[in-house]
Amino acid sequence: MIADQRFGYMEHARQALGMAAAPFHWLADTPARIGSSFNDIFVNRADLIEENGRLREELLLSQQRLLLAESLSVENNRLLALQNASALLEQEVLPAEIINVSPDPYSRRILINKGSRDGVFEGQAVLEANGLMGQVVQAMPFASWVLLITDANHVTPVEVSRNGERALARGSQSSGTELDLEFVIPTQDMEVGDTLISSGMGLVYPKNYPVAEIISVSRSPGQPYANIKARPKAQFSSTRHVMLVLDAANTDYAAAVSDAAGIEEESSLAAVNSAN
Amino acid sequence: MASPALLNSLIALTFIAAALLAIVPVPEWALYYRPEWVALVLVYWVINHPERVGVGVAWLVGIMVDALTGSLFGLHALGLALVAYLTLRLRLRLRLYTVLQQASVLLVIIGLQLLLLQWLQILFDLPRGASMIYLAPAISSALLWPLAWLLLGGLARSLDLN
Repeated sequence: MIADQRFGYMEHARQALGMAAAPFHWLADTPARIGSSFNDIFVNRADLIEENGRLREELLLSQQRLLLAESLSVENNRLLALQNASALLEQEVLPAEIINVSPDPYSRRILINKGSRDGVFEGQAVLEANGLMGQVVQAMPFASWVLLITDANHVTPVEVSRNGERALARGSQSSGTELDLEFVIPTQDMEVGDTLISSGMGLVYPKNYPVAEIISVSRSPGQPYANIKARPKAQFSSTRHVMLVLDAANTDYAAAVSDAAGIEEESSLAAVNSAN
Repeated sequence: MASPALLNSLIALTFIAAALLAIVPVPEWALYYRPEWVALVLVYWVINHPERVGVGVAWLVGIMVDALTGSLFGLHALGLALVAYLTLRLRLRLRLYTVLQQASVLLVIIGLQLLLLQWLQILFDLPRGASMIYLAPAISSALLWPLAWLLLGGLARSLDLN
């Protein structure tokens, strides 16, 4: 029976039982939901005003950064088009909520409240506001299991944002909240504080999303590989809201180029307009 | 003597409650010590009503747990079937023991279940802990056994089921 599972014979039974499991998960999630609704009710006015002010400030800052990012992305796409490389496209996302975590302490998985009925599919990338979270490994009708990047059996292809050095980030066996960079030879240029972004290799994750920050690097002479640890950017334990990336991570080459060309046209039009 | 339907529904309800306890989110550190709730309930019913709850029921309940936790199908089913089988073999002795003696036997039974799960996880290359802490739930389960025994016994008595 267990062997069957390896070859996927049990998929239908799994789907049916997943449907039956939905009310259980809903029930198990009740305490947390009641807790957060209590938080919503019993909140004092001063806190709200303060939070509101803080959020407004953050919004302002983010908008300013967004403006900058937009102009940069247009410029970036134009440069990429010049190089005939695939452009970075904006992705549609589907918001979802975490409703449970795996009871198994050794596997890092979460359950989200969107399933195959909502168009979730296996291998879909899951993001959080601060960084990459993981990928869908099991899509049931009303809920899906997401394997986090900190799972010891999960490997994320990453690169250093500073210089593009590539590496593979595997969930740490020992801590469960960190990532180990695998097969990094001692001469590769990686330092504490470097930001790791997804490299888009493996065609699961979208390119250029922040993944982790390097927290320790040790190169010992006798070892073939450097020992590098990184801390994920995503806040796994403090967030309830995640995003599912809707379209495939890597758009095909032709679309990317035509899109980049379109942007170039637009910007040249804008240039003409401003000249007038 | 109560109706068998009532007893059956009580058994089903306790299993459902145990399954819920098994998936309720708890803090990170507590995950390692989460008692095997389903196994505790299973052992109680196997000792008291072996004509209703046996290896077969244990298997079905295990499949339910597998579906809830999204683990490999048959993993918990096999583990719980082992628990039911061992309890059935030791049932006559367990009935005569005091609660504390039962708890010590339970420590071994659930320890064996966890060992089986660990072996299967190694066999199928699933994520697992590197240390002996995978046995911690056996201890917490054994510590909770007197409570479970009193609670389930009281429940059954108040419904006049024993």
